[in-house]
Amino acid sequence: MRKKTGILLLALCCLTAALSGCGGQKENEGQNGAEETAVKEFVMGDTTFNAENGEADINPHHDSGGWPCIRYGVGETLFRFSDEMELEPWLAESYETVDELTWVITLRDDVYFTSGRHMDGEAVKECLEHLTENHVRAAGNLSMGEITAEGQQVTIRTETPVPALMNYLADPYGCIIDMEAGVTEDGIVTGTGPYQAVALETDTRLELVKNPEYWNGEPKIDKITVRTISDGDTLTMALQGGEIDAAYGMPYASYPLFENEDYTFSSCATSRVFFGAMNFESPVTSDPAVRQAIAMGIDKESFVKTLLDGNGYPAVGVFPDSFTFGGSAVSTETYDPEGAKQLLEEAGWTDTDGDGIREKDGQPLTLRWLTYPSRQELPLLAEAAQATLGEIGFDVSIQNTADHNTIRTDSGAWDIYVSAFVTAPTGDPEYFFAYCCLDGSYQNVGHYHSDRLEELAGQLAAEFDPARRGELAVEMQQTVLDDNAYVFCSHLRMSMIARAGVTGLTAHPCDYYEITVDLDIQ
Amino acid sequence: MDSGGREVTVRRQKIKKNRVKVRLIIFLILAAALLAAAVWAEALCPYDPYAQDMSAALQPPGPAHLLGTDRYGRDMLSRVLIGARSSIFSALLLAGITGMLGTAAGVACGYFGGAADMVIMRISDICLAFPSLVFAMGIAAVLNGGMKGAVIALAAVGWPKYARLARSQTLTVKNSDYIAAARLSGSSALQIIFLHILPNTGGPILVTAALDIGTMMMELAGLSFLGLGAQPPAAEWGSMMSGGRSMLQTSPWVVLSPGLAIFVSVALFNLLGDAFRDWMDPKGPGGHG
Repeated sequence: MRKKTGILLLALCCLTAALSGCGGQKENEGQNGAEETAVKEFVMGDTTFNAENGEADINPHHDSGGWPCIRYGVGETLFRFSDEMELEPWLAESYETVDELTWVITLRDDVYFTSGRHMDGEAVKECLEHLTENHVRAAGNLSMGEITAEGQQVTIRTETPVPALMNYLADPYGCIIDMEAGVTEDGIVTGTGPYQAVALETDTRLELVKNPEYWNGEPKIDKITVRTISDGDTLTMALQGGEIDAAYGMPYASYPLFENEDYTFSSCATSRVFFGAMNFESPVTSDPAVRQAIAMGIDKESFVKTLLDGNGYPAVGVFPDSFTFGGSAVSTETYDPEGAKQLLEEAGWTDTDGDGIREKDGQPLTLRWLTYPSRQELPLLAEAAQATLGEIGFDVSIQNTADHNTIRTDSGAWDIYVSAFVTAPTGDPEYFFAYCCLDGSYQNVGHYHSDRLEELAGQLAAEFDPARRGELAVEMQQTVLDDNAYVFCSHLRMSMIARAGVTGLTAHPCDYYEITVDLDIQ
Repeated sequence: MDSGGREVTVRRQKIKKNRVKVRLIIFLILAAALLAAAVWAEALCPYDPYAQDMSAALQPPGPAHLLGTDRYGRDMLSRVLIGARSSIFSALLLAGITGMLGTAAGVACGYFGGAADMVIMRISDICLAFPSLVFAMGIAAVLNGGMKGAVIALAAVGWPKYARLARSQTLTVKNSDYIAAARLSGSSALQIIFLHILPNTGGPILVTAALDIGTMMMELAGLSFLGLGAQPPAAEWGSMMSGGRSMLQTSPWVVLSPGLAIFVSVALFNLLGDAFRDWMDPKGPGGHG
């Protein structure tokens, strides 16, 4: 009896302790609730903000650090793109060209860095000089010679004519940062945007606070956290569970879960393309017939309709329909498995041992397909192509790895590298070719070379007339497509999903601007 | 009265023994049916498990597709059936390899002793010091994934358990009179091991292996789920679950079908292992031997 009473007392004690624990928690929650009303917080989840995508930090002069810098409202560029992808002034007021090599930019006078420094010509000069010294792609694009600053004017003299100079300055790497404040060990920079970065942990989170002295209005959110959530399913559950207020990079398979009044979508067509680059060093893809057969063996329509759930557009060339030099301005192979089989047969690729895989001179038609998982549609494309190319006689071996940036530099390790890429981030066609297709291109990892393309690229680099630039872009795309050096599968429709009550978070065709001064949460 | 009580006890023991036997037979039949389904999977598949049909993507279970289709329009039932082959046979192969390797090492250590015993046992200590799945993930990653890599990785972490068991069993019987007699009659070490030690120590090892099949199946599926085992488009239950997990809320059948297959097979092999253990246990109700 005494034993039973003892157990009962113990149970009562446990219950009391548990209940008092709950009570305490409630009280804390209450306190937090009171704080929440005072401090407006916003949490964003992003699948792409990680080192794998070159976004280890928000330093625009390092790798792709400019993307998070501009997306999360820390940095701003001299010029920006309108919703129609037309160039408009941002930190700059205007520009004029003195001659083919000389540009004079007039800056706004009311802009301050979050460090308190006034953004004048000298600050911009220091930033651009540091950029070209440290960023290979920027240095190649801008071809910067001498920069001089006087008051709110900056004069740039390029070494060669760069007709798209102002467009290039609107690239995320062109974010104007305070070089006197420098770059912290974590990769935090001081910009002019509506928000100021205060803490950064690579692949984990970025903490931002509002910039009360912002030149273009008062930011409405006090504290923003951008969380790196590279896994799409985790992102889905984080938004469902209320851990985050908005999400970028949601898997299409999860869209139906958010198509109700509790959430809002902001979508728009972008120039981001899913495309494969052929390896010209490979014994398989160096064969033109094999490249053509690959282009004929990928069912783009089904990929877009079923695997992208209609959130894209089958691609023909480099640029989408929204560009005058994009869409059907060029032509390429269409899905034709029978034609591809015949083509391979004629080229000597035959299935001699009856295993369903073609061979030529003892070399099996194995296609090493290198891709990566952080763009969740890429592994789906790989598996879909594996089946359709398999029917033609290819043995597609998929290597889907986050380590793709290292592997792709070894031309002996892959045959086709499939990635996602914004082809016209500057609204101008030159960027894609300069970055991916030429002998000196940083991204030409498949070592593609075309005399004709080099010649046209030379002409494009010196051409100032937009109409003629468009014509050259069409010709260059057609050259690349005729060589089947690349196969463009689909252009992406990008969406950001937020819970109802979030306003001012709008998808933009160039995919640069996410967190702006307009962002608010109820 | 005494003799009557003894009779009742004997009868009860017989009933219990029969129950164990019946249980063992039922589970053996079920496991045999599962194995047969895996062997003749191709004949049983209503569709080509690798044929994509985008127009029939994500169909819920229905008369045309009993377990529905995945996002590529592939029939889930066909994929689960074909997946049984790689999942079950790989687990059986794995249990066989680790059992044999571990037993060989353990018996050799126990019988010969000396420096080799010390070295092998210290290696097994090292293997046991790491959490097995984490260790296996490391090895599979070094081997660049793939089903072969996953089997090698799990074999590399699974053998010490058998080695320790076989060693202790060998040490127990090594000094028995019948071993001494065999030695005196001029039998070689190999003869003694194969003819006298293994038959007398094999029972517990077989029971361990039988109980291990389910665990191996889970671990293989786990590695495949993490992308370190079977690679797409291979129909393997773990990788099928991994591929469909983003659709758990919208098209649950894509994940539930392979998940259920794993659950049923692992449960079956575990129950079979339990029944086998009871049947082999001389002190238990099975009373075999």
